[in-house]
Amino acid sequence: MDHIPGTVGTTTADNGGDFDPRQAADLLDQVTRRARRQFTPLSPLLLTFRAVIVLVIFGGVWLSVRGEHPYTGHIGGRAITVAVVLVAVNIGGTAWVIERAGAGVSGPAQRKWQAWKGFMVAAWIIGYAITAPLYHAAPGHPVWGLYPASAPLLIIGLAGAAVAAAFRYWPLAGTCLAIAVAAAAAGFGGPAGSWLITGTGLCAVYLGLAAFTAGRQHRSMVRP
Amino acid sequence: MTTELDPLIHMPTRLKIVATLAALPDGDALSFTRLQDMLGLTPGNLIIQLRKLEAAGYLASTKTRNGSAQRTTVALTSQGRAALSAYTQALRDLLGGLDRDGRPAEAGRDHVTFRAGTADVPGVQDGDGVAAADAGVQPAARQ
Repeated sequence: MDHIPGTVGTTTADNGGDFDPRQAADLLDQVTRRARRQFTPLSPLLLTFRAVIVLVIFGGVWLSVRGEHPYTGHIGGRAITVAVVLVAVNIGGTAWVIERAGAGVSGPAQRKWQAWKGFMVAAWIIGYAITAPLYHAAPGHPVWGLYPASAPLLIIGLAGAAVAAAFRYWPLAGTCLAIAVAAAAAGFGGPAGSWLITGTGLCAVYLGLAAFTAGRQHRSMVRP
Repeated sequence: MTTELDPLIHMPTRLKIVATLAALPDGDALSFTRLQDMLGLTPGNLIIQLRKLEAAGYLASTKTRNGSAQRTTVALTSQGRAALSAYTQALRDLLGGLDRDGRPAEAGRDHVTFRAGTADVPGVQDGDGVAAADAGVQPAARQ
């Protein structure tokens, strides 16, 4: 079925003579789905894992600070360790998926994706780097509760949506905008509630993107 | 209605090559080694099929030299994308005329021909529509 004929252009297999159209349709779908999975830097599995991570981290912070009157923002060392490990696993997994997707690929779309990656890394660093001077300035605990749960993601979401729209990455533009909306909504949750709102919002956004990506990867080329 | 299946694409290995390259964004190229890894083909087999597709203008290959190492990349041309699109539409038209058992639907008595006239798909010939096509149905080819 899958062998290459030794004599070019003369065998039945070479001209497709024993290749049924339904087999062709199945093969086309099979190969296309696998290629989509391998070329995409957005893995539905990784996005689902990311959804769980944000729920665990932000939800964990909310569980540890809820009911604090006055708000102190005290978070246990074990929770911070778990959060750091999960974030590290997420970064490692993301880097691996992106590296695998782009291996051997070159061209204008690949260069555009590299530019997008660089911009988003810078946005994440800048968004969270602002928390360092804020900590140094020793603001009140309510501010310290609201800012990290909401502001960096608002900045990253809006900036990412603008750049993604400029690059015509529409699903990513929608995702970034949804992140910004979740972060903005979290601002109304108070220093403790903001963590819960951001966590559930981000979880829903990542699950939505995972479902969208999986659906697009699985879409048939031939059948409706 | 006559459905034409491009004989250059209607062959398992070449269909795999074209479908894999079509999954890349327009204008992007793939290295020969990665394409070979993805398809699980020997270099000789892959080169034979790539040359046929390149000769037809369906794909373009570029060789770059970095010191002593040579890197070959291949990309689907706009003509290749159009050919795959036409091929996919032909399959869609053809399969739309089949019922779940592979027999011709009442409203869709299609027949298949190859554009270049090299061969008809067995059991999918003039007069009988696609009635006999189900005789040789096999599971999808796998690597």
